[in-house]
Amino acid sequence: MVQVTSAMPIAKMIGSTRVILGHGIVNVTGDPTLSPEEEKKLRCQLVQQALAALESEEKI
Amino acid sequence: MRIVHYVNQFFGGVGGEEAAGSPLEERAGAVGPGLLFEQMMGEGAEIVTTLICGDNHAVEHQDEVVASVVDKVKKARAELFVAGPCFEAGRYGMAAGAICAAVQSELGIPVVTGMSEENPGTDLYRESLYIIDSGRQTAEMRGVMVKMADLSKKMMNNEKIGSPSEEGYLIRGLIRDEFVEQTAGRRLVDMLLAKVKGEPFESEMVSTFFEPIFMSVAVKDISNAKVMVITDGGLVPKGNPDNIEGMAATRWGTYNLEGLDDLKSEDYEISHGGYDPKFVQEDPHRLVPLDALRELEKEGAIGELHNEFISTSGLGNPLSNTRRMGKEMVEKVKEEGVDAVILTST
Amino acid sequence: MQLTLARHPVTEINFGDKTRLDGTSLLVDAEELRALLLADDRLQSVDLETVRAGENCRVGPVFDIIEPRAKEPGSSPDFPGILNTPATAGMGTTHVLDGAAVTVLIEGSVADTEGRVGRVLEMSGPAGEWSPYSSLQHFIVAPHARPELATHIKLNATRRAGMKAVVYLAQAAMGETSAETTTFDAVGPMVEGREGLPRVAYVGQIFSRQRSPEIDEKVIYGANTNGMMPLLLHPDEWLDGAIVPSYTLSLGGAETYFYQNHPVITDLYRRHEAGELSFVGTVATIAGSDNEDRDRNCQAAANLAKWSLKPDAAVLTKFGGGVPHSDMAITANLLEGAGIRTAVMVSDMAKDRRIESALLFNFPDVDAIVYCGGVDTIWKVPRAERVVAGHPDLTEALAMSQEIGAASIVGILNQQGATRLRAVIY
Repeated sequence: MVQVTSAMPIAKMIGSTRVILGHGIVNVTGDPTLSPEEEKKLRCQLVQQALAALESEEKI
Repeated sequence: MRIVHYVNQFFGGVGGEEAAGSPLEERAGAVGPGLLFEQMMGEGAEIVTTLICGDNHAVEHQDEVVASVVDKVKKARAELFVAGPCFEAGRYGMAAGAICAAVQSELGIPVVTGMSEENPGTDLYRESLYIIDSGRQTAEMRGVMVKMADLSKKMMNNEKIGSPSEEGYLIRGLIRDEFVEQTAGRRLVDMLLAKVKGEPFESEMVSTFFEPIFMSVAVKDISNAKVMVITDGGLVPKGNPDNIEGMAATRWGTYNLEGLDDLKSEDYEISHGGYDPKFVQEDPHRLVPLDALRELEKEGAIGELHNEFISTSGLGNPLSNTRRMGKEMVEKVKEEGVDAVILTST
Repeated sequence: MQLTLARHPVTEINFGDKTRLDGTSLLVDAEELRALLLADDRLQSVDLETVRAGENCRVGPVFDIIEPRAKEPGSSPDFPGILNTPATAGMGTTHVLDGAAVTVLIEGSVADTEGRVGRVLEMSGPAGEWSPYSSLQHFIVAPHARPELATHIKLNATRRAGMKAVVYLAQAAMGETSAETTTFDAVGPMVEGREGLPRVAYVGQIFSRQRSPEIDEKVIYGANTNGMMPLLLHPDEWLDGAIVPSYTLSLGGAETYFYQNHPVITDLYRRHEAGELSFVGTVATIAGSDNEDRDRNCQAAANLAKWSLKPDAAVLTKFGGGVPHSDMAITANLLEGAGIRTAVMVSDMAKDRRIESALLFNFPDVDAIVYCGGVDTIWKVPRAERVVAGHPDLTEALAMSQEIGAASIVGILNQQGATRLRAVIY
C-alpha cells in the first residue's frame, strides 16, 4: 500500500511505510489554481509517483 | 463488609511448585496474606471466604476456574473481591487478572489486585482493573496490602480514585475528564517554569508510541497489477448511502467505478468534518484520482484498476475503531484479488 | 507602547432611555443601538436582550462573546482592521466594562458537527457553574442578515455588529471614574533589570488552514491570514482587539473575550510583574494546510522567536482541530533544538478514552504537555426557564432538557487556556 497525504507528520509519526506527499489537505490529488489540463497532468504525475513507490522495497 | 480473597497454592499454604496442579478449594475465613488485609481494612471488614487454586490448574482450566470463582463469590454475598498480590508470578497474575475481570463485570462489585509491572497479567488486565503496583519483592507484602486496602476502602465508599502515583496502582492507559483548580493557561506557564529551571514537572500527557507497521512486499510488476483506491477523505455518492459519519466514522463504504472514466461533481458529496470540502466537491478527482488511473490503465502502466473504491472519513477516530475498519478493508481487498492499494488521506 | 485598562465594574444591565453607566448599573438605549447596528444594510433586524449572571437561561447559538471595551480618543483604535484602520493596537487607555459581556448569536449553527443549536451559553445549572461566562452580565445581540446574502457575508455583518455593540456600550464609561486602572509593566526583549529571570515567549496559533478562510473573514488586523507568515506581536495587541477568532467553531473553543483576557498572556504578565520571569513577547502563527506551508510557518515562528525575542523558554498553544497539534509540536521541537525549553497545550481527542488513541505527536523533547479534556463530560441539563435564541425556530430545541457535551457549552472548553477541564491519564 502507498499513502498519498499532505498530513506527512502524522503519516510519519504512526510509521506509514510508503508515503507520497499530496498536494494539500483540501486537495490531495489536485490543485484548483491550475487549468484542468495542467491539474490532470499533475494528478497523473502524482499517481505515477505512487505507483513507483508500490514497486519499491525501500521505505519512502 | 464481606470480602472474598483469592490466592495461589503457595500463599494459601497448600504447597510450592509441586502443588501447582491443585484444584480450586474454598476455606472459611482469612488465610495467609488475607489476615494482613483484613487487619488493614479495619473494623467491620471480614474475609468470609478464601479461594485457593494451584497456578497450573488455574491457567490450564481457566474458564472453569473463573466460572467457579464467580459462582462462589456470588454465593458468599461478597461486597469486595481481592486477589493476590501476585508480585511477578506470571501464572498467578494471569489467573488473578482473569478472575478479577470476570467478578467485576459479572457481579459489579469492587475488585482489587496487585502485581508487578513485569507480570504478564498486568499487560492483559491493566486496562480493565485497578492493579496495585506490588513490585517484585514478596517482602514488601505489608506495604502492598496497605495500598490495596486503602484503594478498596475508596472503591467501597464510592470516593474519587486518584492518579496512579497517588494511589499506587499501575497506570491503566485510560483517560478521563476532571475539573481542576487552575486553568490550562496557568498550568502551562507553571510547567514551563519548572522545566526551564530544571525542576521536576509532571506532563499531563504521555508521549504516544505506536506498534511498528511492517513494510509490505513491493509489487513486482505494477503494469500487471490490480490497483485499488481507498480514501479516508469521505468521498461518497450523493445521499451518503452508507451513512458514513463525518467524524469518528464507524462505517466505510465500497463504491462502484465500473464503466466510469471520471467522477462527476453532482454525483458525489463529502462526509468529513475536518477539512474544507469545497475543492473536492468541485472535482472529486482531487481525492480519488480516477481520471489519471483510467488513463494509466489505458496506457498499460497498471494492469487493471479495481472497479470499486473504498471510502471512509478519518477524523477524530479512536484507534480501536480504525483498526477494526482497517482489518475489514483488508479482508475485502484480499477477496477482490487486489495487488496494490493507493490510499489518499486528507 | 503601554496599555492602560480603566475598569468599570458592571453588576447589572437594563434597558433605559439613554445609554449610560449609573454606578455599576449599565443602562442601554435599545433604539439608539439598534439604529447604529442597522446602519449596516446587510442586516434587516437585530434582537437585543439582557441576561443576568446565574439566571436560569440558555442562549444560543453563540457566535462570539466579547468584553465591552472602548478606546479613549487619542489611543489606538477600537478593533483595528474591523471597525477602524489597521493601526497598531494596544496603546493608550481602554475602558472596560468589567463583569459584562456581549454575546453575539447567529441564526443557526455554522458547524454541522455540533448540532443545530451549536454552542450554547448556559447561565445556570450543572453545566453553567463550570463556565466562566455564567457569572457575567450578558447583553445579547442577535443580528438577522438579509436571507439572500451568502453565508460569509452574513457572518461578516454579524462580526461587525458584535464589535460595534461592544464599543457602543463601553463608551458609556467614557468620562466616568474607573474603579481600577491597570497599567502593565513594560515587557519585551529589551526590557532591562531582569537579569537572572527566565526569558519567556508565547507562540500562539490564531488560525488553522484546515479550512480556507473566507475572503472577508477578519482574523488579525482585519486580514483573513491568507499568505500570512508568523509575526511578532506585543502582548497588548492580543489583549486590545488586534485578533478575533475564526468564523468557524474550533475544537476547544476560542472567543474574543479570551483574547481580551488571554489566559496565557495575562498569566505571563502576572508572573512578569511578580518577578518570576521576564516576558519577552509573542509570536502569532497559523497551522498550515500542507507540508510546505507547515514547514515554512513552523520554521519562521521558531526563528522569529529565537532571533527576535531570545527566549530561554516558550509556551505554545494551537488553534482549530487535530492537525494543528502537529504544527505546534514541530514548532516546539524546533525551539527545543535551539535550546529553548517549551511547554505545549493540547486537546484530548481520544474518543475511546484510551491513551493509545490519544495520537498527537511524538517528539522526545516536547515533553511538557498540558492536556485539556472535554471528550467524556456530558451533562443532563434541565429545561431552561428562559431562552434567548438566534432564530425563533431554535427556541424549543434550546429550552428542552437535554444531554449536552462540554464542547457545546461555551467557556467550558477553551484552547486559549481558560478551560479548567483536564484530561487525566490513569
